[in-house]
Amino acid sequence: MSGNIEPGTTEPENKEPENIEAESTAPGGTGPGNKDSAGPQPEYDASTSETTPDAASGSTDETLNALSKKPKGRRNWLLALIALIVVIAVSAGAWVFSSLRSTPASTGTVAKSVTIGLKLAPTNLDIRNESGSALDQVLIGNVYQGLVARSSENKVVPAIAKSWSKSDDGLTYTFTLNTGMHFSNGDVLDANDVVWSIRELVDKQYTDADVLSTMKSITATDDNTVVITLNKPYSALLWALSGRAGLVFDKDASYDAKTQAVGSGPFLLSSFRQGDSITLTADGKYWGSDKAKTQEIIIRYFADDNAAVNALKSGDVQVLAPITENLASTFSNNDDYVVKAGDDTDKFVLAFNSKGTSTSDKRVRQAIRYAINNEELIAARGGSDAALGGPIPSLDPGYEDLTDLYPYNPTKAKSLLAEAGYSTAKPLTLRFEYANIYGTEIGDQLKSQLKAVGIDLQVNVVEFSAWLQDVYTNKDYDLSLVDHNESHDFYQWADPEYYYNYDNPKVQELYAKALAATSDEEEESLLRQAARLVSEDAPADWLFNYRVTTARVKGLSGFPVNLNQSLLPLWNVTMRNPA
Amino acid sequence: MNRRRSAIVLTSIWSTATGRFSLIVMSCWLLVALLSLVWTPYSLWATDGFHVWQSPSWSHPLGTDGSGADVLSWLMAGSATNLLIVLLAVILTAICGLLLVAAMLSSHLGLSQLAVVVIDALISLPTVLVALILAVPFGPSIMVIVVACSFGYSLNLARIVRPQAMLVARSAYVESALSNGASAGRVLMTHIVPNILPLLLVQLSMCAGTVILAESGLTYLGIGVPSSVASWGHSLATSVKFINVYPLAVIWPGLVVTVVVVALNLFGDALRDAVDPLENPRLRNPSPAPSEKTQEAADVRES
Amino acid sequence: MLAVVRRLLLFVAALFGMSLLVFAALRILPGDVASVMAGVNATPQRVEALREQLGLNRSIAEQYGSWLGGVLRGDFGTSLLTGRSISAQIGVRSQVTFPLIALGMLIALLIGIPAGCAGALATSRPARQSFRAISIIGGSIPALWGGLLLILLFGRGVGLIGILPSQGFPQQGWQNPLQAVMSLLLPAMTVGIIVAAGIMRYTRSALNEVMGSSFIDMGMACGMTRRQATLRIGLRIIAPQLVSVIGLTLAEMITGVVVVENLFALQGLGSMLITDVGNRDLLTVQSELFLLSAFFLTIGLVVDMLHQLIDPRLRAVKGGIQQ
Repeated sequence: MSGNIEPGTTEPENKEPENIEAESTAPGGTGPGNKDSAGPQPEYDASTSETTPDAASGSTDETLNALSKKPKGRRNWLLALIALIVVIAVSAGAWVFSSLRSTPASTGTVAKSVTIGLKLAPTNLDIRNESGSALDQVLIGNVYQGLVARSSENKVVPAIAKSWSKSDDGLTYTFTLNTGMHFSNGDVLDANDVVWSIRELVDKQYTDADVLSTMKSITATDDNTVVITLNKPYSALLWALSGRAGLVFDKDASYDAKTQAVGSGPFLLSSFRQGDSITLTADGKYWGSDKAKTQEIIIRYFADDNAAVNALKSGDVQVLAPITENLASTFSNNDDYVVKAGDDTDKFVLAFNSKGTSTSDKRVRQAIRYAINNEELIAARGGSDAALGGPIPSLDPGYEDLTDLYPYNPTKAKSLLAEAGYSTAKPLTLRFEYANIYGTEIGDQLKSQLKAVGIDLQVNVVEFSAWLQDVYTNKDYDLSLVDHNESHDFYQWADPEYYYNYDNPKVQELYAKALAATSDEEEESLLRQAARLVSEDAPADWLFNYRVTTARVKGLSGFPVNLNQSLLPLWNVTMRNPA
Repeated sequence: MNRRRSAIVLTSIWSTATGRFSLIVMSCWLLVALLSLVWTPYSLWATDGFHVWQSPSWSHPLGTDGSGADVLSWLMAGSATNLLIVLLAVILTAICGLLLVAAMLSSHLGLSQLAVVVIDALISLPTVLVALILAVPFGPSIMVIVVACSFGYSLNLARIVRPQAMLVARSAYVESALSNGASAGRVLMTHIVPNILPLLLVQLSMCAGTVILAESGLTYLGIGVPSSVASWGHSLATSVKFINVYPLAVIWPGLVVTVVVVALNLFGDALRDAVDPLENPRLRNPSPAPSEKTQEAADVRES
Repeated sequence: MLAVVRRLLLFVAALFGMSLLVFAALRILPGDVASVMAGVNATPQRVEALREQLGLNRSIAEQYGSWLGGVLRGDFGTSLLTGRSISAQIGVRSQVTFPLIALGMLIALLIGIPAGCAGALATSRPARQSFRAISIIGGSIPALWGGLLLILLFGRGVGLIGILPSQGFPQQGWQNPLQAVMSLLLPAMTVGIIVAAGIMRYTRSALNEVMGSSFIDMGMACGMTRRQATLRIGLRIIAPQLVSVIGLTLAEMITGVVVVENLFALQGLGSMLITDVGNRDLLTVQSELFLLSAFFLTIGLVVDMLHQLIDPRLRAVKGGIQQ
């Protein structure tokens, strides 16, 4: 009983001392009497009312003596305890009071510091090695800059290069750089840094190096001019350079890229607490015209949605992106906040393994597409997401509304399944694996929608890393769900090695032509044809185009709403406290 | 405990208000769990994306959840899962605990010492760490909860029942049984277990409560019941996400867990009082069956 | 003395066993840190290159040897994912978790022991019954739910009496002690209340036992009132058992602490552990699991030792044997 970690187990209400479980004072195995466990031992005997007084009679006197000598000691201890409680209570009161008073003190002014709440935290800051849009989101355009940048409409705009030109054959790109640029450590930024950065990327095969696989050479013709030549035309080059591939690093700086960042952007990275927060400070010496309007921006990461909402409610953060649509209703009904959903390129792709045992049958894949009620999925999420019928979202070139290819039609789904040889007697069972970051609801809903047409979906929600192993690497799945948030990622459908196992030579040919196209119109038209082909083949159901909801306090302005999970330029953010 | 004793114990538990409460709650739990195997108001997979997070209404007495399914149906189905987890955990705890007790009572000195020290060394390992070590390679599953809980509680159980088991083990009739050639296993099952059974039952009912609490915690952390399996922890964990907007949704599963755990603890308490001859005068009545071995044993020792 | 040596040897053996177990458990894992780092758009070549770079291609024995060697030197290595020293990371996270445990335990003791004493001293039947009910209900609340209810009651911006912060740990950490304590208050209350119920139950029943004993009679014979005798002598007599209970309650508390850290978005060891498991940051996870296990094994050891030290009766017994 002495070593009992379940304290509730000794519950003798008013027991006599003869109580069977009354006394056993030694923890197991350490009592000196334990050396011989075969013989009777006083400590372990249950009926110890007879034995204990012998053992303890000496100590009773001891106890009494000790007590009679220093009765004050106990009282002091009690007083100290009371004092401690009082101190805690008073300081708590004082703190509450002071926090109440500090709020009105700063009205009508522009805040020096703004805190924003985001969800996905980068595990480290090494943007050249670590994948994931969390890094693009916080670093690109704020700390690091690329040769070119993206606008909130997903178009290529100037950054380090102020202008560029393309040869008629589409093989040579000439970039003219801004002048007077420097990194935050004072080092000059010129064409040599650009060339070095891109060569490093290719040589060391950093993340996204593959987008430059058609590049033949990159040279600096002078300090302000960079020339890129290609082996064959590549229509997505500029867009690719607006992402990680075009980032420019200081070749002379040495720092631990996992925990620090030295770039040329309007902000300095002043602190990084992994999984918790990143603090950006305005770089007073920034070379460009898009100087940061707020001195300090703290980015806090909330893995937990409630914690995020509480933080916005209590004023710990001024803006939250993303906020779960269902949770946003607390703010959309309140005049102090602005809630808005922005366009994005996130595609929730429910992939059907095109080489799977039963999903290799096109009729099965089509049946699943007919069985899924996308409108219902969107409604359950709060209704702000957009329906998407094919692999290209509205912000990408080649978009076309394909939602009427496979409208919700459970009857048709059932007849297709019957055609494929499945019935109530021989039901179709499919494994569905996806990462736990997308929540359990969507799995439950798909299970229930497919159950209605006679498909038994076995949902397996796993860690993202396990998904990577099972589905992405080993392609061992029937159905899988991932939010493919990248823009311009149609290549997935043209690569038969990709985990979709989708292999259509016609699509591959169209995509190759689109990449080789020398005009935007030609590229878009080819992509549009390819996307339609893909959607018709039903290698996946594009459940919806996720639109990120942002909630902010009214006084905050300049916070990007579109694409803000991968592109979040913060220089324009200002916070005016209400007067 | 023979049948007469069991009847006395049960009626004694029923006679107290708390005991009655615990018996009623536990029977409801059992009934609902059995019922849910054949019938729930709605199918678990009757989701409706257009009516998520509905407030309680006549058609959905406890409202709907984030995928538009009926909360009451999920809770009912969850009670079966939780019952299964609790039963498995209690059985595994009892088996492992008794094996440990047997090891500690073993005449082989090395084995008994080993059992004692292993318990001392491992008893402080928290359930959640054991669960993590299991869940990392094997993924979340019911077995993770069962094994992780049983690990800690069987150590605990062995430690608690050891004094009493030892008392019985050293009694004259065990010695005589052994000298008559009874095997150690037989002695354990026929003499020692019946005598420590009351204490064992009390401990196991407390353990059952803790298993339910552990289930909700571990499932919330993603290392307990896998998704798309109904359990109280699952219902609690999914509603947690929307506590800001739909605080009511979080009330039900939490309330169910609390009420059932309270009942299990009260049952343990009531059981302790009911099986204690000092507390329960009806057990002291002259009995035709010679079952008061504990008392005999005490007498033997005192003399 | 022999018992102490044996206990220490056992402690070392248990530590070694844990290291093997933790290491083995993590090797069965599907997925590796390289593919997590490389992400969804990586080529197989890139994943292989990363694996090489991170040293994931070495043999299992080699990996275990170098890890254990590092642990023995007090160096837990560098996280493959974050590139930070694991010891340093654990150090930072401990600044949240251990104060949270301590504060929770303080709250538990401040509630549990006085309430337990009051329960033991209460004379009227309704009073005794209500103390009993409080202790049972308190101990039956899931940590997750308790935390949610406290947020709904006191969480700033959410609660009915929204006065306490309910998410995150202040940016400046303990440089702003007041804010740090405030942010830990609700989570600590959540775990504290549950533990308090257990301590209250234990104190009350242990005091009840002692109250019938001759020690109290002795005290009363020396002129103390029953109340004084119970509080002064009784508490002292049950103190050793109470220490055991508190020590082992710490282990029970940790499940609640991990849940609460996630619920209140505190960046402590518990939430770190869950995140790192998700990221397959094996080296970090195994170091963390091992360290935490070592911590609790140590607590078990300390409790056992302490128990012997402070129990006057045990000392007396020991003296008796030596004579």
